[in-house]
Amino acid sequence: MPGLLKPLPAEDRLVLLPKNPGTFFIFWQFDAGRTEAFRSGALQPEVELRLVYADDKAHASSRRVAWQPARAYLPVPAQGRVYEAALYAQRGGAWEKLLGSNQASAPSAAGQAEERAYASLEFHKRSQP
Amino acid sequence: MSSRASLMFVLHAHLPYVNHPQDSSFLEENWFFEAVVETYVPIISALERLSAEGIRPGVAVSISPTLGAMLENEALEAKLQEYIESRLELIEKELDRAQHDPALLKTVKLYQKLYSDAAALMHKYSGDLITPLKALQHAGQIEIITTAATHAVLPLLTRPEAVRAQLAVAAEDYLDRFNRKPAGFWLPECAYEPRLNSYLKLSGFSYIFTESHAVELAAATAPNGVYSPYRTSNGLGLFARDAASSREVWSAKFGYPGDPAYREFYRDLGYDGDYEYVRPYLGADGARRPLGLKYHRITGAGPDLSAKQYYDPEAALARVEAHASDFLARRMKQTEEFYSGRGTRPLIVSCYDAELFGHWWFEGPAFLEAVIRKIRAERLPLQFVTPSEYLNSCQEPQEISPGISSWGENGYFDPWVNETNDFIYPAVYSATDKMIETANRFRNQDLNSLSTRALNQAARETLLAQSSDWAFLLYIGSHAEYAKGRLEDHAANALKLLSEVIEKRVDEQDLARLEQQNSLFPRLDFKVFSSVSKF
Repeated sequence: MPGLLKPLPAEDRLVLLPKNPGTFFIFWQFDAGRTEAFRSGALQPEVELRLVYADDKAHASSRRVAWQPARAYLPVPAQGRVYEAALYAQRGGAWEKLLGSNQASAPSAAGQAEERAYASLEFHKRSQP
Repeated sequence: MSSRASLMFVLHAHLPYVNHPQDSSFLEENWFFEAVVETYVPIISALERLSAEGIRPGVAVSISPTLGAMLENEALEAKLQEYIESRLELIEKELDRAQHDPALLKTVKLYQKLYSDAAALMHKYSGDLITPLKALQHAGQIEIITTAATHAVLPLLTRPEAVRAQLAVAAEDYLDRFNRKPAGFWLPECAYEPRLNSYLKLSGFSYIFTESHAVELAAATAPNGVYSPYRTSNGLGLFARDAASSREVWSAKFGYPGDPAYREFYRDLGYDGDYEYVRPYLGADGARRPLGLKYHRITGAGPDLSAKQYYDPEAALARVEAHASDFLARRMKQTEEFYSGRGTRPLIVSCYDAELFGHWWFEGPAFLEAVIRKIRAERLPLQFVTPSEYLNSCQEPQEISPGISSWGENGYFDPWVNETNDFIYPAVYSATDKMIETANRFRNQDLNSLSTRALNQAARETLLAQSSDWAFLLYIGSHAEYAKGRLEDHAANALKLLSEVIEKRVDEQDLARLEQQNSLFPRLDFKVFSSVSKF
């Protein structure tokens, strides 16, 4: 099932989204020139995703992943902080910043003492006949 | 007796926008028909009954703009009428089939009343169910609030322009539909982050609702927990959902809806009936589908549908009465515990998806009515209040900084961002970014009528691509292909229209087709997406 069937415009984009207190979701798209650079090997196929704290731009974490399928889940370094991401790739042995992201806040974890009933999922998740 | 606690019921009514005028029996349009018959008509009828008897319901009802658009869509109304007539025809046959089976006959007669009542109410209001809701609000019986234009999970829209557009379009839609400015805003999926405060305030909203832990995370400055309203630093009112009263009603496992006497949702004549007998009531594809006639009760916890016993309407109604009493007894206990500790009256905010009542939990509307009646009949020291009423009469709420949260599974954004649906976001963001860029480019230009129409339709398609429903349906694996197709189509439609305007080659025939199919927000102005918006 996963995968879009209709082509999207080839353009640069790096988007950082909160998922939960421990995880960010990040995805990226490249323009035609950069896509070709990855395909031709001018850019190495592994990219590095770096998280920085939005307030002081201090390094928070980094992770290397394959340039495709162009999405990844990143552990949140510290809850309750605001982050920005950047995507780097290696060209000729040197890391080059290709994309920067929006700012995203990591939620703080709630200490929920009781089992909650979360919206209609209670009903939807029951199996259909 | 004077009230010792205030109760606030918030019913959030929402369906994704589903309108397929070229198709006479589109499966997903049944979501709307089923919700009208099973939820909206029974709730409106109950509110009208209570009001007529001098019992003020005092509940808040959130009507999403997409649902409002469907309730006012004449083509859908015509299909709804056909749907109800078709069911009444089938019920006539069922009455005949059940004549020697008294246990079954009771339930068939119950459905005859349900569908006849729906037909009567639709006839009374010429097919427009917004009219009775508007009348109830005008009479001060209920308060109607709105939500984001297409129910986008706002914290997942990183562009301020996109958030502003969802809010501005919702506010304008509400004004057009209800002839007044909205005060309250239902955050889709109760999804909150502090960044939203300023956009909500600038769009004219006075208050929002959040999940419990939005307040619990700010516990150091929220001494009354979820039992009182708060305000954000920019003066936005905030009510937090009470987890206990929600669990009793929401949870199929721990809550009332799982009672063995209540109607079983998943056993349906559409699957049980002789194929040739039910065939005229299925869709054009002939595939078995739910027909809304469900004759069995939950019976037990086991998943074996063949072991379910016949539904008994009187036994179910007896449980409704018992559950309404239990619900109120628990609220009284909550109240006493809070009151004895603090000496002040708590506010208990209970928020539910409206479609739980009637559609998922068949007896839900009767439960709602019973709860409201019992407070009066038993002279309980509890009082239903609407949000605006409460804010207008309470002391200045304390300021807090609520935490990021939602009412989705696990309390954050997992249902809308996970391995089953994360692939949709490049399409959502491609359409959104292109819409903003194009709105900025053309916002001060004199455009011909065709280009303006194309840009406005692109804005509709972009908003529809942002709906939370597509990600959720993909997550639960229900109608997943449809959800994926809708998301891709809306994004592709937006991108195509925007390119056509830029390249001065708008396909008018195709534009007219999209305007007919995705016809919500008739006054939408594409400039709502511009970075410097007049909205």
